[in-house]
Amino acid sequence: MDCIKQGEGTTFVREILDRYPKEQRFLLAILQDIQKRCGYLPREALELVREHLDVPLSRLYSMATFYKALSLKPKGRYAIKVCDGTACHIRDSRGLVDALEKLLGIGPGETTEDGRFSLETVNCLGSCALAPVMVINDVYYAKVTPEKIAGILRRLEGEDDGDI
Amino acid sequence: MRVIIDGRECLARRGEYLLDVAKRNGIFIPTLCHSDALPGQSSCRMCIVEVVEGGRSKTVASCVYPVLGDIEVKTNSDKIRRIRRTLVKLIHASSPAGKHMEDLLERYGPLPENRFEVAEGEKCMLCGLCVSACEALGTGAISTINRGTAKEVAPPFKEPPEACIGCGACAHVCPGDAIEMKEQGGIRTIWDRNFEMLECTGCGEYIMTRQQQEYIKAKDPEGTVELLCEKCKRKKTVDGFRDAFKNTGF
Ligand code: SF4
Ligand code: FES
Repeated sequence: MDCIKQGEGTTFVREILDRYPKEQRFLLAILQDIQKRCGYLPREALELVREHLDVPLSRLYSMATFYKALSLKPKGRYAIKVCDGTACHIRDSRGLVDALEKLLGIGPGETTEDGRFSLETVNCLGSCALAPVMVINDVYYAKVTPEKIAGILRRLEGEDDGDI
Repeated sequence: MRVIIDGRECLARRGEYLLDVAKRNGIFIPTLCHSDALPGQSSCRMCIVEVVEGGRSKTVASCVYPVLGDIEVKTNSDKIRRIRRTLVKLIHASSPAGKHMEDLLERYGPLPENRFEVAEGEKCMLCGLCVSACEALGTGAISTINRGTAKEVAPPFKEPPEACIGCGACAHVCPGDAIEMKEQGGIRTIWDRNFEMLECTGCGEYIMTRQQQEYIKAKDPEGTVELLCEKCKRKKTVDGFRDAFKNTGF
């Protein structure tokens, strides 16, 4: 998913920028689009946004570090989000994180070396009835227990033919 | 608009901030995150006062509270003093090593045992004044990054900021003296960058960085940047007047 390194260059950033008027109020939408397309916000992309909207780089960096939905580091091909909002927390989301940490060898905010998995906790996914919730890419896993984690990961690895 | 502050009647323009009205009338309200040159930050909350309007009392931050009707204000009631003491405790926990604490401790100290976790050695209370100053100058070299307990003031990617012109505005406005700025042998170091200082053509005192001069020039290509310190500038104006009078024969 590391678009720039994969030789796609920065044309996709230009495409995204061209869709928006040069107004600062579209800043977040633009960053979200880049994040979605690329899995993270490459530095080169931020430079282009800075030029396009004429905003200080510090503003972009501030936003990129403020919102959990944005990331400056490449996410894994499987981006795992464990909800740690109140309802999930009470239903032992911590136990899920511990299990994932043990299985993947990474902590929240990190990506496995092979680029396959990344892990993060988020503050509320708005699906408290399903607590504890885990989201991998766009798929929701409801009422997860630490015991179920290994199976879920195994199924994903089965799907993964390496070029997602 | 009629505003009664601590029993004293003050005049205010509609929309004027309460803190400014009080100041103009010589009434003291403590502030930490306020600079007359910048818009209110409303982050330190030290400037809170009680506003009574239509028989109802509320607590507001006076630095961002516009006067829109006739109100009565108490800047130092029991309630306000109590809240301020809690604020001081919180500020102490966040930035015990900041310069602002000296004054606070003198006025409100000694503090009772702090039940909050104290960030030993920290000088910054995250008031945001430095970021505001840098933004107001149009340089925008620093910002607050991260959120919650990980929040801090930093340049992008925590690298020496390219956009910085070394003006030192952030360090000057900082109530905590939390931004390190050093000057040695005509070189100013701030945010891990070195800047060459330019001298006043009158007295030789260092007055601004080369990047600062270039920045001003770029903003106003027609204008000239006079390399004079405030003192020499004043002297020049006075001399100018004297010459002008001499020529008219007075
Ligand atoms: S460095 Fe100083 S001015 Fe900036 S946020 Fe911290 S205390 Fe406020
Ligand atoms: S001076 Fe008003 S909140 Fe800091």
